[in-house]
Amino acid sequence: MIENRPWLTFASHATLLVGIGLVALPVWMALVASTHPASAFGVGHIPLWFGDAGVETWGTVLFEEAGNGVDTPVWFMMLNSLIMALGITFGKIVISLLSAYAIVFFRFPFRNLCFWIIFMTLMLPVEVRIVPTYEVVANLDLLNSYTGLTLPLIASATATFLFRQCFLSIPGELVEAARIDGAGPWRFFFDILLPLSRTNIAALFVILFIYGWNQYLWPLLITTDDAYYTLVMSIKRMLSVTDGDIAWNQIMATTLLAMLPPVAVVIGMQKLFVKGLVDSEK
Amino acid sequence: MTDVILEKVGKTYPNGYHAIPSVDLTIEEGEFIVLVGPSGCGKSTLLRMVAGLESISTGELRIRGERMNEKEPAERDIAMVFQNYALYPHMSVYDNMAYGLKNRGMPKDQIAEKVSDVAQMLGLTELLQRKPRQLSGGQRQRVAMGRAMVRDPKVFLFDEPLSNLDAKLRVQMRVEIRQLQRKLGTTTLYVTHDQVEAMTLADRLVVLNKGKAEQIGTPMDLYNKPATPFVAAFIGSPSMNLINANLTEQGIKISDALTLPLSHQHRGSIVWGIRPEHLEVSDERNADFALRIQAVESLGAETLIHGKIETASGDGEPLVVRLSGPHLPDVNSLMWLMAPAQHWHLFDEKTQQRL
Repeated sequence: MIENRPWLTFASHATLLVGIGLVALPVWMALVASTHPASAFGVGHIPLWFGDAGVETWGTVLFEEAGNGVDTPVWFMMLNSLIMALGITFGKIVISLLSAYAIVFFRFPFRNLCFWIIFMTLMLPVEVRIVPTYEVVANLDLLNSYTGLTLPLIASATATFLFRQCFLSIPGELVEAARIDGAGPWRFFFDILLPLSRTNIAALFVILFIYGWNQYLWPLLITTDDAYYTLVMSIKRMLSVTDGDIAWNQIMATTLLAMLPPVAVVIGMQKLFVKGLVDSEK
Repeated sequence: MTDVILEKVGKTYPNGYHAIPSVDLTIEEGEFIVLVGPSGCGKSTLLRMVAGLESISTGELRIRGERMNEKEPAERDIAMVFQNYALYPHMSVYDNMAYGLKNRGMPKDQIAEKVSDVAQMLGLTELLQRKPRQLSGGQRQRVAMGRAMVRDPKVFLFDEPLSNLDAKLRVQMRVEIRQLQRKLGTTTLYVTHDQVEAMTLADRLVVLNKGKAEQIGTPMDLYNKPATPFVAAFIGSPSMNLINANLTEQGIKISDALTLPLSHQHRGSIVWGIRPEHLEVSDERNADFALRIQAVESLGAETLIHGKIETASGDGEPLVVRLSGPHLPDVNSLMWLMAPAQHWHLFDEKTQQRL
């Protein structure tokens, strides 16, 4: 990889450019489409350059109700999405940190069994257990609430596993040094364990935030009140109009908006994310 | 004043493994005790039991007269230096040293004062804001010691603290540890497998073998009067020549052809020992026996000669001789040796005790 071969450099760059083009094209098309009037799509050809309705469309999307049967403005749905995504992310991180802490550092009977039971829940994502979960949430009167949106998604076997591996790599002597230094379980957790798993937390934050933000099925099921609609599910709602034209331009603008927060999180935390996946500072 | 007392302290692991049957040890205040032994002899386990990191299965541990068996490590007023230093990687040198004091609720200005005192003593003042990964091995070692010293504990515990350092630094730190301990006058328990370290540091040595204290005494006691062949072989480098022999009326019968005259009331199988440095080169007339030379190691200041005691059949016992200065005898030649009787060590083969 160190040798200098011009054609190799050219070929690899060309491959990368084609790849970028393929990935970016739909985004580009969405951006372009949001600047044409809604009727432009009905004609049958897809425009590849900006139209003249951009200001109007974006103005509508940003400041008025989203339309097409969704009576809340986009920014409000973004707020809902954000609350749900952050709730899920923080909930997952806190719970899996605590469970991994218990599994790795405390000796109690059936410790390993506990871990494997947690691990087995990997086989039971929301989609599989959706009916019983819905029933539980409904019985608890949590439909149409933020708690209902986040709580059932909060347990995470993946994150527990990741933190377990991270904690296992912490040398035993460090734990003993802390014991001699008079750090109790909580002190040890906050003063030593948390700072040492900082990069892992950051990496998980990125993954889990995107997971939470992109939740579709669950919010669709348990929210019937406009006040709790999330952005991703609303895009689908905006599509299902019984009569009249689908406002493709508005949908595209909304889609772009829905992409922004995950992109921002990835870009903002890129460094920590890579660090968390690649090295361990220990 | 006695500081630390181990009374019949033993350790049995839950799986039934008997790591330490029973150890008795009384440590005076300010004493530097070194626990030494081959790997797996239980020396680290014993240290960790004193630290409170391992539970004590039987017996009692007392520090300043107070029973410690059930106390948490933090309540025992001890400080420990680990082999890999175990510094908190995300904390600065200052925070590493201050952490224990902070947990004890000491006021901030007092902590700052203590840390800067110790940092000055160890030459760490310039490094206080660095992270452990920015330090060299020797500096980390120093921080680990600083972390222990800053607490001003009753007992220092060292678990092979120098084994991760290179040879030159090890010698330097060894001297430094000794000086610091003298200056602070803190009772110290030090674990090592390196007998040179053990000999140079210790006020008293405890030689452990399979969880048992083979002998406890000053380094010179152990060198001059080892209680068992194990101690004899362990202390001193190169280790003592130990040869199975028979004690008869004529003396020590090493082989059919070789008997060293000695009048002793003991009879039967014994282990005869002599240190390599106590064998002397002589001429054929005065010599006790001849050595067939097999290998020569010249170290400049001294020469180690490996060979076998010359017998008719050629299957004599292997022996090492240590001569001062450079010597270059031919391999396979004969060397006449004298073994002065005042340097002999005799052990009963059955009881493994000194005669």
